[in-house]
Amino acid sequence: MAYTEEELKKELETKEYEYGFYTDIESDTFPKGLNEEVVIALSKKKEEPEWMTLWRLEAFKIWKEMTEPEWANIHYQKPDFQDISYYSAPNKKPKYESLDEVDPELLDTFKRLGISLDEQKKLAGVAVDIVMDSVSVATTFKKTLAEKGIIFCSISEAIKEHPELVKKYIGSVVPKKDNFYAALNSAVFSDGSFCYIPKGVRCPMELSTYFRINQAGTGQFERTLVIADKGSYVSYLEGCTAPSRDENQLHAAVVELIALDDAEIKYSTVQNWFPGNKEGKGGVYNFVTKRGLCERNAKISWTQVETGSAITWKYPSCILKGDNSIGEFYSIAVTNNFQQADTGTKMVHLGKNTKSTIISKGISAGKSQNSYRGLVQVNSRADNARNFSQCDSLLMGNECGAHTFPYIEAKNKSAQIEHEATTSKIGEDQIFYCNQRGIDTEKAIALIVNGFSKEVLNKLPMEFAVEAQKLLEISLEGSVG
Amino acid sequence: MLKIKDLHARVEDKEILKGINLEVKPGEVHAIMGPNGSGKSTLASVIAGKEDFEITKGTILFEGEELDEVAPEERAHKGIFLSFQYPVEIPGVSVTNFMKTAINESRKAHGKEDMPASKMLKLIREKSELLDIDRKFLSRSLNEGFSGGEKKRNEIFQMAMLEPKLAILDETDSGLDIDALRIVANGVNKLKSKDNAVILITHYQRLLEYIIPDFVHVIHDGKIVKSGTKELALELEEKGYDWLKKEPVV
Amino acid sequence: MAFENNVDMDHPIHDIRSEAIKNFETKGFPSKKEEAWKYTSLNSLQKIDFSIFPKEENALEYHQVKKYFLHEIDTYKIVFIDGIYSSYLSETTHDGVDICLMSSALTKPMYQQVIDVYFNKVASKEESLTTLNTAFSREGAYIYIPKNKAPKKPVEILHFATGNEATLMLQPRNLIIVEENAELQVIERHQSLTSNEVLTNCVTEIFAAKNAIVDYYKVQNDTKKASLIDNTYIAQKDKSVVKVHTFSFGGKLTRNNLNFYQNGEHIDSTLKGVTILGEKQHVDHHTLVHHQQPNCESHQDYKGIYGERSTGVFNGKIIVDKIAQKTNAFQQNNNVLISDQATINTKPQLEIFADDVKCSHGCTIGQLDEDAMFYLQSRGIPRKEATGLLMYAFANNVLESVRLPELKQRINKLIATKLGVRLGFDL
Repeated sequence: MAYTEEELKKELETKEYEYGFYTDIESDTFPKGLNEEVVIALSKKKEEPEWMTLWRLEAFKIWKEMTEPEWANIHYQKPDFQDISYYSAPNKKPKYESLDEVDPELLDTFKRLGISLDEQKKLAGVAVDIVMDSVSVATTFKKTLAEKGIIFCSISEAIKEHPELVKKYIGSVVPKKDNFYAALNSAVFSDGSFCYIPKGVRCPMELSTYFRINQAGTGQFERTLVIADKGSYVSYLEGCTAPSRDENQLHAAVVELIALDDAEIKYSTVQNWFPGNKEGKGGVYNFVTKRGLCERNAKISWTQVETGSAITWKYPSCILKGDNSIGEFYSIAVTNNFQQADTGTKMVHLGKNTKSTIISKGISAGKSQNSYRGLVQVNSRADNARNFSQCDSLLMGNECGAHTFPYIEAKNKSAQIEHEATTSKIGEDQIFYCNQRGIDTEKAIALIVNGFSKEVLNKLPMEFAVEAQKLLEISLEGSVG
Repeated sequence: MLKIKDLHARVEDKEILKGINLEVKPGEVHAIMGPNGSGKSTLASVIAGKEDFEITKGTILFEGEELDEVAPEERAHKGIFLSFQYPVEIPGVSVTNFMKTAINESRKAHGKEDMPASKMLKLIREKSELLDIDRKFLSRSLNEGFSGGEKKRNEIFQMAMLEPKLAILDETDSGLDIDALRIVANGVNKLKSKDNAVILITHYQRLLEYIIPDFVHVIHDGKIVKSGTKELALELEEKGYDWLKKEPVV
Repeated sequence: MAFENNVDMDHPIHDIRSEAIKNFETKGFPSKKEEAWKYTSLNSLQKIDFSIFPKEENALEYHQVKKYFLHEIDTYKIVFIDGIYSSYLSETTHDGVDICLMSSALTKPMYQQVIDVYFNKVASKEESLTTLNTAFSREGAYIYIPKNKAPKKPVEILHFATGNEATLMLQPRNLIIVEENAELQVIERHQSLTSNEVLTNCVTEIFAAKNAIVDYYKVQNDTKKASLIDNTYIAQKDKSVVKVHTFSFGGKLTRNNLNFYQNGEHIDSTLKGVTILGEKQHVDHHTLVHHQQPNCESHQDYKGIYGERSTGVFNGKIIVDKIAQKTNAFQQNNNVLISDQATINTKPQLEIFADDVKCSHGCTIGQLDEDAMFYLQSRGIPRKEATGLLMYAFANNVLESVRLPELKQRINKLIATKLGVRLGFDL
């Protein structure tokens, strides 16, 4: 690869470690710590073939030699990787007997997001004794997919059932040695999704809208692999607008997308991990490596709404390898209280006539820090490459910060690159105008923020967009006095 | 409906209103005229509840209720509408979406359910026709890239949608060409009834040819220095404001 | 490198120097691993064995170097040959203002007070090349404009390298103080007259007091063997207006570190640049505007045209502190690549901690407008000339703020020469 993560180095201070890991030890949980034996045992536990075990071991070897990157504009106490348990059998026992036992604040949020009662129970870990409608929905769903030859299953299942595909593509876009967290994930990934769309097939539904519940609890080292074969199309939804109160502090996921000739992948994410409390305690550290490879005439479009996590470190990227390929990145990142986000994208133009679009909207409130970091790289053979980038920041209150670090590298004279960035605040006159029309300040802010984010919200599938809109509102509550 | 007694208001350390007295009854149209900087727009903002202004003395009663502690959005819910002299841009928020939010917030304040979408659409269609507004215009971002005339027409459209009891039009005529002025005035006239009242704040007599006021007040240096009927407006047009300024301020 | 023996230990600023030496010894030359030097490598320069102090004095005749002066108008001149002051070519003054030498300012008691207050006060004590200069510089320009004064004519600071030594490393140091309500215009140029390698590591400190107006023009059009690392630090007080124009038309490697620190309200800072490069030249513009107080403005506009195998870098950083409300900061960087081998790396960077601000940056990389080209060609202007005209137009708005008409004309001619076209009319 023409660039390395290390190239983006940035200095960083560390601050007091404020969070203690706590894992409720079930019978089937590994002791804390990471070494070769743990990797082997993990692979064995998951009944993986030997090649997978070896692959993991190689990744582990690489990871041991690497150091945690420090270039991002985030400050945190580095996790102790020997203080984490790397295998925990999925918890089959419900945590609660009824919804009454669940934190009412959490339930209130569910309600406001418009999440159904059954889903609420599932998400909160309440035992569901009635057969959910969705089970039958799931069956029909799977049948429809199977008819088209679409494979959609957990990555563990795919390793066993479709080894030829997994073997060929896993690590092909995000190599094991790509970065510290990707190497760690490669060694110890818990589970995740696998999706293959055969040649010329247009996936008839948004993948994983229904599965969002089932996907919860795939663990802290999630691995996703999506392959769109020639001329196929898929829209994939990841994450959940509901707040995820995961007790694992560190999340290091890897997502690899492969769009072969003429294929298109639309990948939408809503991330709402626990951001820590108002004093900045706790919260998830989210270190994600997401990257897609576009072959000839292919298109990959990333859309993300990031409202959660104490730390977000995430750069969904596109390698525009094939001629005429297209990469898109639409992002809304909201930080409040003490959250820190360093997020953006990389568009690497290798093929001729490649195009990329970046629309990034950062909203900072409270005492949070929100950084956009992006790279647009046009290589010498990428004739007629085009890029348009727009990074807008909205500041609420004067205790937060907005930062932009756009790197633009062009080595071809026919490149056309445009980058625009603005920073603004919500004007008092805008609020008064809304007030005068009978809209209170809180609602006015939500309205203005939604307007600011509209270009990105519009890219989300309809039902997701509505939830995301509500989510923005909830995330920014109480941010302006 | 509106009773203002000895109103004094200041912004930062500068006193702008120095004892305004005004009573507006249902069905009336009042015009407030005066030179630049006399306090016309301040009076409008103070009635609407803009926080930059501090009331130092006097009271504003709306339907018998003291407004001083009432938040701007609650005043709106009570039926006070201000057509802004400089309407504010809100990027990404369409006129329709904005109106939908405003109407439903008001309904919520009165304990009513959201307006059904079909009824909302009907209302929008009706009012936009009244003001000769192109429907495409309604999907554009609020005031963003609007011409001066479009902004003012949009204000009156919002007034029509919200059906206020008291409408304050702050220099709605400025920047309007004669055709736009006629449309706006026409809209205001159609919305006028025996139950609502209008305060027109203007610098020129021109608007008053189209919307006939029952009373004309001249404001100067934070006080109403002269009140009369529509003939006063003509007199002002002819003589300017200087003759009023020369009169000793009591 | 044992240069310590050559440094005067009794010098009044000895402590500052030894501090600086210590810092440089720890840090050494910056490497590409540092974020600030990601796109510029000094490796090739470090391989050369430069001599730091010239062994002999060299003389030049005015006619040999006349063309490097802005000879169309009368100016004050502070001229150095291989780092040593040339009184023969210079024209200094003490008539109401001080336009003279750093060496005398550093040693003569009458300047002591000013030196104590200003010397090395805004220049970085961390950045390794600046500390290298602080440690070993001996000469440069010293300009002091007292309250309410303005010198009768602009000041030219010229550094010639004759390179009669094999290779030379120069460390010029300028200190410029413009007091309240005073005004100054400066043109600075570094020129090599030899085919030997030259490396100049220059540090300039500029202090603009309340209401002061400073125009500073940097003309960089050096030879293929001449490299320049230019470090300029500017501290501004209330309502001062400082404009720095950088014209980079040549040199082997040029690095411009231009740093503005706003220490007052209602300050206006302007940073403009035109870069036209060919061959294997490399220019790296590294700007910083640090908004530390409310109600200030900054305007940045850099245009670059890169041909052949040249490389351009623009790294523009704007920091807005929490208290710097009502800041207006604008940055624009437009680039045109005219060769397949040319590279441009640009990194505009905003770091904003205040909420009531207006900040924007825009950056483009593209080509000349083909429609405009066709239009000109259809009016009978050959493609080559049309290209020149369009490029001139592209760079033009940067020149608009040049207040010296003769300089503007000179730059125009340089641009035309650089682009290899005769425009057929006098610009």
